[in-house]
Amino acid sequence: MPDKSLFYLLFTLYALAVSGYAANAVLRREWLTRAGLGLVAAGILLHTGLLAQRWLTAGYLPVTNLFATLFFFSWALALTFLYFELRYRLGASGLFVMGLNLLLLGSALPRDPRVPPLIPALDTPLFELHIIFSFTGYAMFAMAFALGVLYLAQARLASGALPELSLLRRCNEEAIFLGFGLFTLCMVAGSIWAHIAWGYWFSWNVKAVWSFLVWLFYAGMCHAKFVRRWQGGVYAWLSIAGFGVVLFTYLGIGLLLESNHPLE
Amino acid sequence: MADQRSLLQRLWDLGCSLKLAIYVASAATALIMGGSLAMHYNRRVFGNMDAATITVWFADAWQKAPHLTWWLPLTAVCLAIFGLNTFCCLCDWLLHLKARWRKTGEYLIHTGFLLLLIGYAWGNVAGFRNDPFRLAPGETLTLPALPAYTLRLDDFNPTFSPEGRPLDMVSEVTLLRGGSEVARGTVRINQPLLHDGLVIIATSLDQRLAGFRCFIDGAGMVDLFPGRSVRLPDGSTLGVMTLLPDARRTADGRVLPAGDRLGNPAMQLLLHHPDGRTWQGWYFLRETPPAALATAGAVPQPMEPLAGYASLLTVNRDPGAGLALAGGIAMTLGVLFALFSFYRKRARGDRPQL
Ligand code: HEM
Repeated sequence: MPDKSLFYLLFTLYALAVSGYAANAVLRREWLTRAGLGLVAAGILLHTGLLAQRWLTAGYLPVTNLFATLFFFSWALALTFLYFELRYRLGASGLFVMGLNLLLLGSALPRDPRVPPLIPALDTPLFELHIIFSFTGYAMFAMAFALGVLYLAQARLASGALPELSLLRRCNEEAIFLGFGLFTLCMVAGSIWAHIAWGYWFSWNVKAVWSFLVWLFYAGMCHAKFVRRWQGGVYAWLSIAGFGVVLFTYLGIGLLLESNHPLE
Repeated sequence: MADQRSLLQRLWDLGCSLKLAIYVASAATALIMGGSLAMHYNRRVFGNMDAATITVWFADAWQKAPHLTWWLPLTAVCLAIFGLNTFCCLCDWLLHLKARWRKTGEYLIHTGFLLLLIGYAWGNVAGFRNDPFRLAPGETLTLPALPAYTLRLDDFNPTFSPEGRPLDMVSEVTLLRGGSEVARGTVRINQPLLHDGLVIIATSLDQRLAGFRCFIDGAGMVDLFPGRSVRLPDGSTLGVMTLLPDARRTADGRVLPAGDRLGNPAMQLLLHHPDGRTWQGWYFLRETPPAALATAGAVPQPMEPLAGYASLLTVNRDPGAGLALAGGIAMTLGVLFALFSFYRKRARGDRPQL
């Protein structure tokens, strides 16, 4: 198996960042969140470098097996967190978001990182667009999930260490909206690709059907924020449930059911 | 009159209601979730769902397993109500366009979704799908569902990896309508030929018998395959018109194909004598050659079969695909516009409430 030391270094950077956020939750030291953010930023630089190096050597965006998609998903989630952190200074949310990211990266690391040869059917920019929008969308949904958990925690704890409920709610709505937009682009690219590859743009295979459900669910969530009784708590629960649907679509179908989607 | 108006008004309000949208979308979601499990555990019924349009597939599947497929028409009803609901919302927005033009992005998304629904329904009602057709270079196929159209495979070049895995299947095809060319192009992986709702896809390839290497007295070793003719020492020419890998003769003397595998091969030959006489007939390679060939000294003795490739081409028709693409473009633009207005709205600090 190829040398994985840089991947482990990346994991360590993110793990240290999560430790920083965890320590801040107990000790309430501002510099700990700043250190956490610095470590996340350093991790993203390394993550981007590794991804670029793999892309350049393979000649295509390597997202054709579980290691590669988990690695890409983790990168997109780290970037998403950085965006929200820089824009809204969510601080403590790093514990949840980057904690989730550690799980993603951690489940990729035991796998073989070698990039497999590209099968001809995947050799099209539509595939790359489909994947990029899919995982950047998933990353937003993961962010919304973490913000939902944080919202429910804060609603109970009313802790000074956590961001205010109204900010969490706004960020959650933004993550869902951005995620829906990105996932829409993923579905559009995927449908065009299906049309030119198979001669029909919607396939009744389980993965495609569940992708449609993910899309429909988050379209619904774009509206749920207008229902006053649902704002806040219900919306947070919906974000958590939605991420369950995402995880089933991404991992569950491949692991529990067997699908004939080209990426399974 | 007043009552009627208020009924209409109430219907319109229902049509525009977000609550209705949430109910039908949730119902469709629940039905599809359950249905996807039925799909997974009953491959015998659902395994070929993509091989035909949903209407054709359903007509057959419903006969076989109504208890497993009832959720599909219900889902269609939910989605149709959802579509109507979206349409009402869209009209409502258009009626208030002056005040709500800032929501253009959102409503482009709604328009796109509607176009997708209509495109899907139309494509599945008015379109068709086929199992792949097997075509060798030079062969033509009249589309069974659209007999005005003929597809001709002009050339076929598969490429393989060193391990023998097919990398690409490059077919040069011409589409004819009423005998005249309407489209021509290269069909390969991820590159179909599109014309008038037709989608011609490179699906697979198949090895086939292309011809025979034969020995002919005086002419030596020659490769004979359809379209090829050879000059014989006495000045006559022998041409191959048709090759059947497996052929049979009917009681009235006609020769018909019996299969695609090498069995009882036969060639339809045309012999032109220098004096202008011609002979045309079938030569069964495993049988005694026709007398006309023997007396002319032009008997091809088969030495080995020559292999070639046939292209397996799928020809589907989806007249709704253009509409669906327009829907996809509307949604893409809508997403970009909506993102822009979302951040503008955030920057101004207003929160829309319903
Ligand atoms: C079927 C009935 C539907 C109704 C009644 C409906 C209604 C609405 C309404 C009232 C809004 C708010 C616009 C505003 O702020 O003034 C909205 C926004 C939106 N709708 Fe729909 N919609 C429907 C279907 C859909 C569908 C099917 C999709 C997606 C495929 C969709 C995607 C969106 C998006 C992305 C927004 C923007 C949300 C935001 O501003 O954050 N809608 N819709």
